[in-house]
Amino acid sequence: MAGLLSRERTIAGPGFNRWLVPPAALAIHLSIGMAYGFSVFWLPLSKAIGITKPVPCPADQSLLDTLFATNCDWKISTLGWMFTLFFVFLGSSAALFGAWLEREGPRKAGVVAAFCWGGGFMISALGVYLHQIWLMWLGSGLIGGIGLGLGYISPVSTLIKWFPDRRGMATGMAIMGFGGGAMIGSPLADLLMKHFATPDSVGVWQTFVTMGAIYFVAMLLGAFGYRVPAEGWRPVGWTPPPPKQATMITSHNVHVYEAWRTPQFWLLWAVLCLNVSAGIGVIGMASPMIQEFFGGRLIGAAGLSLKDLTEAQKGQLATLGAAFAALISVFNILGRIGWASLSDRLGRKQTYFVFFSLGTVLYALVPFAGRIGSVALFVTLFCVILTMYGGGFATIPAYLADIFGTKYVGAIHGRLLTAWSAAGILGPVLVNYIREFQLDHGVPAAQAYNVTMYLLAGLLVIGWFCNLAVRPVADRHYMREDEPAPVRAAAGATRPA
Amino acid sequence: MTDEHGGAESKPGQWVVVVLAWAAVGIPLLWGVWMTLRKAAVLFK
Repeated sequence: MAGLLSRERTIAGPGFNRWLVPPAALAIHLSIGMAYGFSVFWLPLSKAIGITKPVPCPADQSLLDTLFATNCDWKISTLGWMFTLFFVFLGSSAALFGAWLEREGPRKAGVVAAFCWGGGFMISALGVYLHQIWLMWLGSGLIGGIGLGLGYISPVSTLIKWFPDRRGMATGMAIMGFGGGAMIGSPLADLLMKHFATPDSVGVWQTFVTMGAIYFVAMLLGAFGYRVPAEGWRPVGWTPPPPKQATMITSHNVHVYEAWRTPQFWLLWAVLCLNVSAGIGVIGMASPMIQEFFGGRLIGAAGLSLKDLTEAQKGQLATLGAAFAALISVFNILGRIGWASLSDRLGRKQTYFVFFSLGTVLYALVPFAGRIGSVALFVTLFCVILTMYGGGFATIPAYLADIFGTKYVGAIHGRLLTAWSAAGILGPVLVNYIREFQLDHGVPAAQAYNVTMYLLAGLLVIGWFCNLAVRPVADRHYMREDEPAPVRAAAGATRPA
Repeated sequence: MTDEHGGAESKPGQWVVVVLAWAAVGIPLLWGVWMTLRKAAVLFK
């Protein structure tokens, strides 16, 4: 089995069709992308004991009691910790295991990811069955989170090596899958929960078992579909651009242990973090934001604010809010493949200049759209903003390959994903806390996001300057042609004299 | 599809496998996008 998973066994033979690799990567990314869709389980899980309505826990219940309580229902806020665990363990496992992945190959990483993600679902199913929240956090949050990190970075360097002529498009295809996973998983989970629901069960643990099995098989198929190109392979008719004409695309390699010592790594870390912070902040608040911005105008009752609406009207607004969140998620995945492919023509640095320049203008225009009451302009602004949020994720692996070379790009990308974890805290904190601060100081709900939007635009201005400062890596950081990589890996972080 | 390293044409029939592989991931993705767009359609009514 170990031999079957080794890097040597994944080297493609002559005549292998490179277009078989992106679907393998997509199988894994579409599976782990369900992490975004987990909120579909929160409502049924919040009444797993009461079935028709939640059975509240005592108000003075301690955290320890909450972990083991079997006689009252979990709060949605308690369940929501799963998202934090997902993204913390995604970032940290990608950073920790990236070098291992480069050494052992993508197939082994994909198989481990399948066991973690699929197995995590099974442990979570047991947690729901026994009504033990700690089992869910351990299963899907911790173990599943490690599967997320490994699965996310597993195809990156392989795809870049197969598509040296279209690095952006290749990684964009895979990372598009991560954005699209919830689009498949959420409605599927909904169908399964309806199918499994009985008078005594909300049907969640059965859904977890079914989805865990589906994802496990899909990810194994993806992992066994991975092939790495033979050393020296390149597409017919393609020759690497001469270094003098493409100074931002290196033909050398920087070792993963060296990369993080360069200013370029930290500049790109900031570029990703700032681009993602701005986007992630609005994704989480998309539904309430459009409702608070426009109130009754959304349902033809212009002039009425949220607090003046009836319960039925508020229900209509919530439906529209969910529709808005769904619409921008489509633009998120379109941006992943669209911008990443365009970056092959524009260049990575120029593509990020577009994200930061256009993004700044668009964020700054959001309060104007609210002021003139234009729902169409508001929706259009966020659709474009979300394409650039997705595009930022999908373009960064190719940017790293351009700057640091392709040899360790998967591992370097893994370390850079800690920027995502940081953004996952920074973005929502900025949006949520500034909104609450504004509301507490008497600012009308419709204007509570204005300062936030200008602040997010400000983050993008900082990102613009970070991107401007990215230059090719100094020659001293490049690996020597004859440098044996395993020696450096074993030596830890030191560069031989 | 050819490759310079191996100097060989893509194996006969491999394009069929490519189409099947893309269908296996593309069809569920399109279904997901369709379901999402249906949900989003309320916004335009």
